[in-house]
Amino acid sequence: MSRFTSPVRREGDAYVINLGRDETSLVLHLIGELRALLTDPEPTSDAQVLMVRLFPVAHPHDEKLEAEYQGWMRTDLVQSKLAAIAIVEDALEGDGVVDEGHLMAFMQALNSLRLVLGTLVGVSDDPAVDEVAPAYVDSTEYALYSYLSWLLEDCVRVLAP
Amino acid sequence: MPTTLEPTEVMDPSLDEQVAPDHPWIVLVWNDPVNLMSYVTFVLQKLFGYSLEKATELMLGVHNEGKAVVANGTREQAEMHVFRLHEHGLWATMQKDGPAE
Repeated sequence: MSRFTSPVRREGDAYVINLGRDETSLVLHLIGELRALLTDPEPTSDAQVLMVRLFPVAHPHDEKLEAEYQGWMRTDLVQSKLAAIAIVEDALEGDGVVDEGHLMAFMQALNSLRLVLGTLVGVSDDPAVDEVAPAYVDSTEYALYSYLSWLLEDCVRVLAP
Repeated sequence: MPTTLEPTEVMDPSLDEQVAPDHPWIVLVWNDPVNLMSYVTFVLQKLFGYSLEKATELMLGVHNEGKAVVANGTREQAEMHVFRLHEHGLWATMQKDGPAE
């Protein structure tokens, strides 16, 4: 059945996330996989590649400063992403009513998922090649990436100043 | 007394004695095909209080030129900006203002 209503809407000072049962279940499942990825104490090399966009380099020209940054900020960044995941779970398992800060956290979590899936399917904006790697053009992963992009766009539309 | 000016030896200050200028640090956001243009614009507005016009101009700089300077400040300020941008999934780096090393 096609969707006719926006999944996110504003109601006074609050926002309502209404994905419906199936999409809620899907997003909760994906969010759970993201948490597992972030909390894996010994991620495989493949997992590390998938997370590369979640933890960008801050000091590309200075290894010493980069090591300091990662030492100070990496744990905080992981905690921030886990906190956003927890907020998403609370919202989707509850009534879906959130304030602006929690909707921002929802967006952060959605984008983290997009960054992982986008890396997996090899998203590119090079006009000389397809948007994704040929092996993923008709894949479930690319369909999920596209769905999350649409959902994130809707959040931006609702929240944009 | 010499009638012409003779060359005199001038002591160049050593590099160690020069006072390093207090270069501010700049924060750059780099183009990433995964991040939506609308989302990048929105994040720049939210984090830095930019108008829609300013945030859109910066986003287009990122998209068309590959990168844009979105903020500057002390090292600590720049590091916090980078952290906030990383929280939101943007590809941000920082460096001293001036030519990249």
